[in-house]
Amino acid sequence: MNIYLPIAEMSVNIFLFLGMGGAVGFLSGMFGIGGGFLMTPLLIFSGVPAAVAVGTEAAQIVASSVSGAIAQWRRNNVDIKMGTVLLAGGLVGSLLGVEAVKLLRRIGQFELFVSLAYVTFLGVIGVLMLMESINAMHKVRTGKPASVKRPGQHIWVHKMPLKMRFHRSKLYISAIPPLAIGMVVGLLGAIMGVGGGFIMVPAMIYLLRVPTSVVVGTSLFQIVFVTGFTTILHATENKTVDVVLAILLMIGGVIGAQFGAVAGQKLKGEQLRFLLAGLVLLVSVRIGWGLVATPIDEYSISSIVGGRS
Amino acid sequence: MRLSRRVVKGILGAILVFAGLAMLAGFEMAEAQRRQAPALPVRPPASAPAPKEGGAVAQAERQQPPQPVPADTAPRESVQADVSSRSVAVTSSFTGTEIVVFGAVDHSRQSTAESGLYDIVIVLEGTPTRLVARRKSNVAGIWINTHSITFESVPSYYAILSTRPLNDVTNPLVLRENDIGFEYVRMTPVQGWETGVTTAELQEFAEAVVRLKQKDGLYVQEEYGVVFIGRSLFRASVNLPANVPVGPLDVRVYLFRNGQIISTYTARVRLEREGLELWLHNFAFRRPLLYGIFTVTIAVGAGLLASAAMKRGAR
Repeated sequence: MNIYLPIAEMSVNIFLFLGMGGAVGFLSGMFGIGGGFLMTPLLIFSGVPAAVAVGTEAAQIVASSVSGAIAQWRRNNVDIKMGTVLLAGGLVGSLLGVEAVKLLRRIGQFELFVSLAYVTFLGVIGVLMLMESINAMHKVRTGKPASVKRPGQHIWVHKMPLKMRFHRSKLYISAIPPLAIGMVVGLLGAIMGVGGGFIMVPAMIYLLRVPTSVVVGTSLFQIVFVTGFTTILHATENKTVDVVLAILLMIGGVIGAQFGAVAGQKLKGEQLRFLLAGLVLLVSVRIGWGLVATPIDEYSISSIVGGRS
Repeated sequence: MRLSRRVVKGILGAILVFAGLAMLAGFEMAEAQRRQAPALPVRPPASAPAPKEGGAVAQAERQQPPQPVPADTAPRESVQADVSSRSVAVTSSFTGTEIVVFGAVDHSRQSTAESGLYDIVIVLEGTPTRLVARRKSNVAGIWINTHSITFESVPSYYAILSTRPLNDVTNPLVLRENDIGFEYVRMTPVQGWETGVTTAELQEFAEAVVRLKQKDGLYVQEEYGVVFIGRSLFRASVNLPANVPVGPLDVRVYLFRNGQIISTYTARVRLEREGLELWLHNFAFRRPLLYGIFTVTIAVGAGLLASAAMKRGAR
């Protein structure tokens, strides 16, 4: 059964895309991730124009993050003040990111930048996670207690001006680092079609020393609003949000996530991280291969959607 | 602590590496732009438009008096044709459609459908659209778009159907004059086209456009796609793929005898979005802000629904 996508302007098999949404939803439910970094490349591999994939995926991330954010909110795991500062940076980053997409599309380098961004970020994060999970698994086996990261040590991040008090996180730090982190995440999110949790969560833990209990909730809070904003910007600036495609992915994703969450409870944390690291590296290598392998055809054509811009 | 440092360093490193790669790519692009070649149009511009119907017919009469036909008093042949559907609706369930082009040769002098006195060539041409063609080159191990040409207008769709291979029907001159055949598709580069490309390369770009369009099923040729089913009746069918760009399709029917066009007929198929498809497309392009908010609202609704369902499931 096929359906015609109004913005991507292609006829696709409904069940294929529902299945894709379901598979990514399963993994995101299992690992507790947004899944944008899996979905966007998958959409591009299946022939959706890269810009439409990125714009539409932003909408899907809103759907998949909302329920998580609400659950965290109910458990009082959101530092609203910290979230707002991250959000302010995120909105600026998103604005810059969408403009960057517009510019890159005009000069024909958008696909290249998306691929480079994926290869570098996924590659680095995948390797780090792999090392960390192997370390943790080794420690579990040898019986040594896993090292507990203790907040409280001062690093250069804490010596900046514009200090603010974040009650929920029990922090008194400069507003500049969270603003900057939010901006980088918003920028990458708009260009790569991801929520950016995979950058924000480690950055909050290790750079800002936010207690782990509020990290996930606060980052989800930021992601919901920033990706919502990014979706609207992609719709107005690039006209690359396909609502029909977004709905297909949402339906598949929501169902898949339920099963994934159940599966995830059966695995240990370090095992989950090991598997996730492998997945991340796989995506990174696959995209990297596309950059270095000799293309089947050196030429490509594209229509100029939306006139000059 | 050791680990946290490593992670932070890793992320910073990733940003640095990415910035480095971006700069490298930018440098290469600037370099490519510097190697600008003089602008030369690939084919004679539209200043001397090909003499269409009338001219071709006049020429045909002048150059080649019909030899095997003795009856000078017999009325001259002409062609009439039509399409099976003059308007095609592109809806959510659109998966392509078949268009049948049929017609008749008036005052046909051939005795049977097989006698082969006449040739019919049918061209279906979509709306001319702007199009960018790009070429990748290997830059430091990575394949990057380095050269590009913007074509002012390239037919979005192009199908040629004929009773015989085009080279058997007539000579290249006639084909060129009437824009029949992939080699003669009207393709004009934008004035002062951008990056450094030579005329020979421009030709390669034009060929690549045709090749890629063929791969997408948007440029098709069927050398025996038109059949006579009587001494004057003929028929051809063409399958429009699901990815056919919306807009009018011009259908041109040429009647050939002895390699010369003796009559032409034109028709039009309109491809239009309809129903939900039309509504969503208009919404997205005319009220983009509202459309964006609409999409986000749906997303939030879906998320809330999922969260409510989960709560009920847990209870």
